[in-house]
Amino acid sequence: MKKNLSFVIALVVTAALAAVPLFVKKDSLLTYLCMILLYVSLASSWNILGGYTGQVNLGHSAFFGLGAIATRLLWFAGWNILLAMLVGGLLAIAFALLIGSPAFKLRGAYFTIGTLALGQILYATVGNLFPQISSMPVQDLISYTLVTRYYLFLAVALITVLAATLVANSRWGLGMMAVREQEDAAESLGVNAFQHKLLALVLSAFLAGLAGGAFAFFQIGYYPQYPFSPIWTLDSTMMAYIGGTGTILGPIIGAIFFVVLKEVLSLNLAEFHPTVFGILFILVVLFLPGGFMGLWKRIKDKQQKKRESMAELSHP
Amino acid sequence: MLKLTEIDTFYGDLQALWGISLEVREGEMVSLIGPNGAGKTTTLQSITGLLRPAKGSITFDGHDLLKVPPDKIVDLGVSMVMEGGRVFAGMTVLENLELGAYGSRARKERFETMEHVFKTFPRLKERLNQRAGTLSGGERQMLAIGRAMMSKPKLLMLDEPSFGLAPILVDAIFEMVKGINKQGVTILLVEQNVRAALELADRAYVIENGRIVGEGSGEALLSYESVRSAYLG
Amino acid sequence: MLQPLAQNIIYGILIGALYGLAAVGLSLVFGVSKFLNVSHGELLMLGGYASFWVFKLLKIDPFLSIPLTIIFLLLIGFIFYRLIFSRLIKLEVEKKIQNSLLVGFGLSTILQNVALRLWTADDRSITTAYSGLSFELAGLRLPAVRLISLAISVVALISLQIFLKKTFTGKAIRATVEDWQSASLMGINIHRVYLLAFVIGCALAGVAGTLVSICYSIDPSMGLNWTLKSMVVMVLGGLGSMIGTFVGGIILGVTESATAFFIGGNYRLIAGLLLFLIILIFRPQGLFGTKEGDR
Repeated sequence: MKKNLSFVIALVVTAALAAVPLFVKKDSLLTYLCMILLYVSLASSWNILGGYTGQVNLGHSAFFGLGAIATRLLWFAGWNILLAMLVGGLLAIAFALLIGSPAFKLRGAYFTIGTLALGQILYATVGNLFPQISSMPVQDLISYTLVTRYYLFLAVALITVLAATLVANSRWGLGMMAVREQEDAAESLGVNAFQHKLLALVLSAFLAGLAGGAFAFFQIGYYPQYPFSPIWTLDSTMMAYIGGTGTILGPIIGAIFFVVLKEVLSLNLAEFHPTVFGILFILVVLFLPGGFMGLWKRIKDKQQKKRESMAELSHP
Repeated sequence: MLKLTEIDTFYGDLQALWGISLEVREGEMVSLIGPNGAGKTTTLQSITGLLRPAKGSITFDGHDLLKVPPDKIVDLGVSMVMEGGRVFAGMTVLENLELGAYGSRARKERFETMEHVFKTFPRLKERLNQRAGTLSGGERQMLAIGRAMMSKPKLLMLDEPSFGLAPILVDAIFEMVKGINKQGVTILLVEQNVRAALELADRAYVIENGRIVGEGSGEALLSYESVRSAYLG
Repeated sequence: MLQPLAQNIIYGILIGALYGLAAVGLSLVFGVSKFLNVSHGELLMLGGYASFWVFKLLKIDPFLSIPLTIIFLLLIGFIFYRLIFSRLIKLEVEKKIQNSLLVGFGLSTILQNVALRLWTADDRSITTAYSGLSFELAGLRLPAVRLISLAISVVALISLQIFLKKTFTGKAIRATVEDWQSASLMGINIHRVYLLAFVIGCALAGVAGTLVSICYSIDPSMGLNWTLKSMVVMVLGGLGSMIGTFVGGIILGVTESATAFFIGGNYRLIAGLLLFLIILIFRPQGLFGTKEGDR
C-alpha cells in the first residue's frame, strides 16, 4: 500500500518534471532546474557510498570530473553525446576499480582523508595537463538548446535516484548498511565488506561520471579542471548530510534546499551563501545526525506515540 | 569514610551495576571479589568519576562525589591504580611520579612525598630517568602504586594489582599494599586472586552480575562454602 | 646543473621548516583530542591576513606583529573550540575523528567564503623594506626573510618542546596524549587540556600564516592545500615528536623542490600528496595510532 503510494507519487513527479519545458519558457528558470537536477545526481550518487555504505568519500569530484572530461573530448570529436557520456561513466568506473583496493585498505577517517588527497591529485594533474579553457565549437553553439540539456539532466537524475532506490532495497543494499553499522560484525555474518564497498564505489562513480557528462554537454565554456574542484565534493557531501544520509529522499531534499537557499539569499546575502550552508552543515553534524529526514522521522515517531497513547485512553 | 548507596551504572545502553551498596571505613582494608565482568572495575570507575552512575549516591568524607568533577576527586584524597598499572610509557619514571602529584594539594609537598614513596619502592629511585615503557611488569606496577601514592590519598583503590605478575612478585606487591595500609591509608582492593585478597582484607564484598551477593570478614568468607566452591576450587 | 639543484634544495629546506611549523599544531591537537581539524589551513590563512592588515594599516613590521597574531588566533581558537569542537569530546574515537573532520570542512567553507568577501580573491604578500635582501653563500642565494622565518620556526618548535617537557601543564598534555583515562585519574582536567592544546595549535598555525605572508603569498583558497601539506608532514614525522615533525616538514619541502626541478613546478603539490597516499596505504595505523612508549 505504502510502496504503491510512493511509486505513484514518484511517477507523478517525473511526469510533471518531464512536462516542465512545455510550460516554462524562461531560460533562467530552466537553468535553475538544471542545477537542481545536477545536484540531485551528485548528492544521490555520493550517498550510495557515503550514506548507505558509510564510507565518507571526499574525492567524489574526481568521478564527476572524469565523466566530464571524457564526454567533452569525445563529443567534440563528433561522437554521439549519449555514447560519449557512457564512456565518461565507464572511465569513472575504471578509476574507481583502480583505486578501490588500496583505498579500502583505509578505514573510517583514513579512507576519508585518503580520498580527499586523491581528489586533489586529480584536480592538480588535470589543471597541469589541460591548462586551456574548453569552449564549445561554433556549430554546437548554434544548435544549442537548453531544453535538450534539461532532459539530459532529468534523465541522469532519474537514473541515479532509481539506481540508488533499487540498490538500497536489494540484498546488496542490506549488506552495505551492515558494513556501515559494524564492518567486523557484517563480515562475521558472511558479508564480504570489500565487495560491498567496491560495488557502492563503482556505482557511485559511474553515476557521478554520467552527471559529469551531462555537465560537459551543458556548460558552454570552462576550464577542464573545474569539474574536479573539491567544491563539487563538498557541496554533494553537505547536501546529503543536510537532507539526511542513507535515505533516498535526503540528498534530493538537500539538493533542492541548497539551490533554493542560494536563490533566496541572492536577494541580500548572495555572496555569503557558502557561509550559511557551512553553518547549517556544522549544525547538522553536531545536533541532527539524520538531517532533515531524521528530523521528520523524529516528529512522526512522536506523533505516532501521541496517537497511540490517545487511542489507549479512548479504548480502555 | 566511603559509602556507596544503591548505585546503578550504565555502559551506553548496557546496565553494568544494579543497586550496589558498600562501605569502607577509615583505616580498613576491604576487598571486592567476583568473577570476570561482574562489575568490579565498573564500581571503582564509578567512584573515581571515570563513569557516572545513573542513580544512587556516593559519599566520601562527607562529600557527595557525584557532584565533584573527576579531576577534583583526587584532591579529596581518593586515588586509583587501574588494571595493569597503565603508567605513561613514553614518560620517565620521575615524570610519572610528578604527575601523580598533579593536584594542587599534593603538588606543594611532592618532594617529601617522593622520598616517602622511594622508601616503599626503592627500585623506583634507581630507575628515575628511565622511560616507564622500559620497566619490567613488576616495576610498572610499583610505579603505578607509587604514582597513586604521590597524590597523598586517604583512600587507595587498586584494580587487580597482581594481574600478570610472577607469583613471587605477587607476594611482594601484596606485602607493599599491606605496608601502605599500616601507614594509615585505607585500601579498597579488587582482586582475582581471591585467597590472597581475603586473607589480606579486614572485610570483603562478593559481586556477581553487577550485584553485591555477599559480605563479611575476610576470614568468614574464606570458610564460607559457596565462596570456597566458586572461587577457591 | 648542480648549482641550480642545490639552490632548489635550499629553497626546499626553507619552506620545509614552515611546513613543519604548520603541521605541529595540527599534530598536537590530533594527538591530544583526536580532533582532525581540517580547517587548520584556514587558521593559517587568518594568521597571514592578520599580519598583512596590521602591516598595511598600522605599519607594524610583520615579524614584530607575531605576538598580535598569536593573541588573535588564541581567541579564534577559543571561540571555535567552545562553539563547535567541545561538542565532540564525548564521542568514541573513530566517530570523533570523522565528525571533527566534517565540522572542520564546514568551518573551512565558512572561513574561505568570509575571507573571499572581506578581502577579495587577490594574492597578497607583505613587502617590507628588507624583503629583497639576501645573502650569498658559495654562490647560493639565501633570502633574508626566509632565513628569519626559518629561525622563528625553529624557536617556536623548541619553545613548544620545552613547554611540553618541562612544565607541569606540558606534562599533563603529554600524559593526556598517552592515556586520557590515567591522566584524568591524576587529577588532570581533560577538557582544559583539550582546550589548551586546541588554542596552542591555532596559535602555531597563525604564526606559520604570518611567515607565509612574508615569504610567499596568501589568498582565501590556500587553506585546503596547507591542511593537506600539514597532514603529509604529520604522517611523515610521526605523532607527538617535535623533531620528527620538523624533519617531516623538511622532507616534504625538499621532495617538492626536487619535483619542481626535475619535473616541473606545477607538480610540487602532486608529489607531496602521492607521498602521503603511499604512506597512508602502507602504514595505515602506524601514522596516527602509535604511542611513543610502545616503540
